[in-house]
Amino acid sequence: MNSLKTIKKSLLTIAVLGAFNVAAETVAITNTTIYTGTDQGVMTDANVVIDGGKIVAINPASLEVDRTVDGSGRVLTAGFIASLNQLGLVEVGAVSTSRDARAKKGGITFDASLAFNPESTLVPFARKGGITHSVVSPRGGDGIFSGTSFNVDLSGDFDSVVSTESAVIAGFGAASKDSRASSLQSLKDKLKGQKDKLDKAAKKDDDKKAKEPSAEEKLLTALLNGEKPLIASASRATDILNLLAIKKEFGLNLVLAWSYDAVKVKTQIADAGVPVILNGMHNLPGNFDSLSASLETAGELEKAGIKVILANTDSHLIYNLRLDAGNAVSYGMSAQGALQAVTSNVAEVFGIEGGVVAKGQPANLVLWSGDPFEISSSALNVWIDGEEQDLTTRQDKLRDRYTSKEDKRRGYIK
Amino acid sequence: MRKFAFSACFIAVAAVTGCTNNEPQDPKVTIDKNPYPSTYQAAGQVTTLIKGATVLTGTGERLENADVLLVDGKVSAVGQGIEDGSAVVIDGSGKWVTPGIIDVHSHLGAYPSPSVESHQDGNEMTNPVTAEVWVEHSIWPQDPGFEAARAGGITTLQILPGSGNLIGGRGVTLKNITSPTMQGMKFPEAPYGLKMACGENPKRVYGSRTDAPMTRMGNMAGYRMAFAEAAEYKRAWDKYERDYDAGLNPEAPERNIQLDTLKGVLDGEIKIHNHCYKAEEMAMMVDLSKEFGYHAGTFHHAIEAYKIGDLLADNKVCAAMWPDWWGFKMEAYDMILENVAVVDSFKNSCAVVHSDSDTTIQRLNQEAAKVMYRANENGFDIDEAHAITWITLNAAKSLGVDDKVGSLEAGKQGDVVVWNQNPFSVYAKAEQVFIDGAKVFDLNDDSYQAKSDFLLGQK
Repeated sequence: MNSLKTIKKSLLTIAVLGAFNVAAETVAITNTTIYTGTDQGVMTDANVVIDGGKIVAINPASLEVDRTVDGSGRVLTAGFIASLNQLGLVEVGAVSTSRDARAKKGGITFDASLAFNPESTLVPFARKGGITHSVVSPRGGDGIFSGTSFNVDLSGDFDSVVSTESAVIAGFGAASKDSRASSLQSLKDKLKGQKDKLDKAAKKDDDKKAKEPSAEEKLLTALLNGEKPLIASASRATDILNLLAIKKEFGLNLVLAWSYDAVKVKTQIADAGVPVILNGMHNLPGNFDSLSASLETAGELEKAGIKVILANTDSHLIYNLRLDAGNAVSYGMSAQGALQAVTSNVAEVFGIEGGVVAKGQPANLVLWSGDPFEISSSALNVWIDGEEQDLTTRQDKLRDRYTSKEDKRRGYIK
Repeated sequence: MRKFAFSACFIAVAAVTGCTNNEPQDPKVTIDKNPYPSTYQAAGQVTTLIKGATVLTGTGERLENADVLLVDGKVSAVGQGIEDGSAVVIDGSGKWVTPGIIDVHSHLGAYPSPSVESHQDGNEMTNPVTAEVWVEHSIWPQDPGFEAARAGGITTLQILPGSGNLIGGRGVTLKNITSPTMQGMKFPEAPYGLKMACGENPKRVYGSRTDAPMTRMGNMAGYRMAFAEAAEYKRAWDKYERDYDAGLNPEAPERNIQLDTLKGVLDGEIKIHNHCYKAEEMAMMVDLSKEFGYHAGTFHHAIEAYKIGDLLADNKVCAAMWPDWWGFKMEAYDMILENVAVVDSFKNSCAVVHSDSDTTIQRLNQEAAKVMYRANENGFDIDEAHAITWITLNAAKSLGVDDKVGSLEAGKQGDVVVWNQNPFSVYAKAEQVFIDGAKVFDLNDDSYQAKSDFLLGQK
């Protein structure tokens, strides 16, 4: 309990300073072990200096800072980045009025970022698990597209949405009311249609007459240009191969998601340079599309040279992402690979700045009590853009209320 | 619900005819309480000696550099310096040994993988009270989830019907071995469970059809009406037994399969397993059990158990909980990560960690570890030797099999897990798993890794 109080006190100090001074405060995390996530690998006895929201120095000759945080015996990593969840778009799953992830029709242009709620209780709960950013995605919809994903930080501030339209989200494979062929054909038709339009427009001499493209056309063009990733969920090997062929035909920036049969075609996926997003804990055949689901999938894909992203889709439990990574290591992933699977790989695919601990990078950092993937460890300090975050949650408040020794009716303990 | 007929004898007594000592007795009507008996038999029992391991006994003890001897399918000895020349010796140095892990809440086989339409066999949502259904009649033993759970050290598990009904039917406790039949897995002499459900699920399922129950008060009315009827049924059978034993020739009450199960609860033979999240509902379910004279058993999920830990302990009911699931329903909104630890802190408590999941059942050790570490960060002082009881001995108590499994004590069934390291680590794996002294899983030996029929021959 004492350590909690200390943390609270230091937060209070920060809050007071924050009123006029946070941006100016320089902080050094000292004598720590850094899992950089870069080619530098692990650095020991390191000092990391944060200033103006950035990592301004690692191991400078001299430390002249406003404040130091003792990192000895601890591990510093980049903030973990969750992906393809509905954080901030759902408060209680079964409460329909608290759900905003699904548009009735969906469609490629659906942008749920307008619905993002930074004050959701899910945000601090995830943050306490060392998650500093998330790629939030819509779900469902009538056609193949559910919409676009958007990137948020987990500061809980009203300006949490970092960027919108970070990727186009689409679903393929097993379908209960249609053939899986329809969705693949639909994708080809959409891309072909847009490509024809662009080709036609390019042939016209008179630019002035060209109509302003619709939002859908813009997104399809961005897919055709490879500017925006297409996140395609597809598990069965045939679906994966078909998508790889479509990628080749149209020059897509394809990313596969929930591809539990990927091991069967890992060479083709690696050759195409396509990243794969997985729930690392999924190892049972939910249907005939995922007969080879295994805890070893993430490690096997990594060894094949594929960029792997580990994602936990349970928006309420994305704080377990670090344990998903730990289990992936237990079943064959490298520690560095698992770290990148929840930091830099996500950052690269979805266009989030950072994801590594390096000079010049944004100070999205987590100081862990030990191995970040181990159950015994926890996040002690979390910084988002250089600002230290509050790590108390509604759950902490409930615990404190019901474990309080105060001789009071519980309702008065706040 | 059908009313049973009063016995003809009861009516006849009023007419002052029959039912005298002089009338010859018809054969006594008895009900077979075990019509689908276990055919489970351990295969491949080997005298096994695990030497020099860290042993968590399941009774709260931790023994260093200790040995565990399995003979004839039972735990024969636990301690230091045990020798047995005939035993297969496992070098336990650096390894940890625990009792077989027990999950009190699983739907494997009833909601199996693949989870296709044809396999939705866990919720008989045709009536809010279906005490007449037995989930054992739904179990598909080829669910690959059984193998995955075994690789995670699960040796005993209770399969429960779902929570769509107020009273969903009987649960069954299984030994986690491969068998073409449910009976082949059925844990011999384990009591039956009865699944009940509080809260949102039953009232949503039936309320959305404008049937009862539509509200929480409707839920309570539904349980009370069911148990009131069961009490009458029990009275009729008890009277029949009494009269028959007194030499009379009473007519047996009409058999009712649904009320047989509820009577079993009132007779103390069937244990209640009650899906119930909220403090106020659990408190009422305890009162309900007193109203009808049965034991409230175990509250499952019990998200708000920490609010009434004293009440649960005072009434000696178990609470089976997740470490962290929350937020999927309003009744799951008030989760705290220390729930299990708070419940556990009261004298006479019975805190259990359960899965209700084909995924986390594979890592119940990690689920218990989450609770232990988060609780210790917030004022608790819980060690591995104690935390393991949440998934071993306390779970066995909840199921009523704690005289048989759940701890490494001489005479108990030889259900044992050898872990490659401290099982409270994310990197821990069950290396060898024994059930009744027979090895059923070996991480490093493919010949001890079973594969379900469903996955066999698939590419």
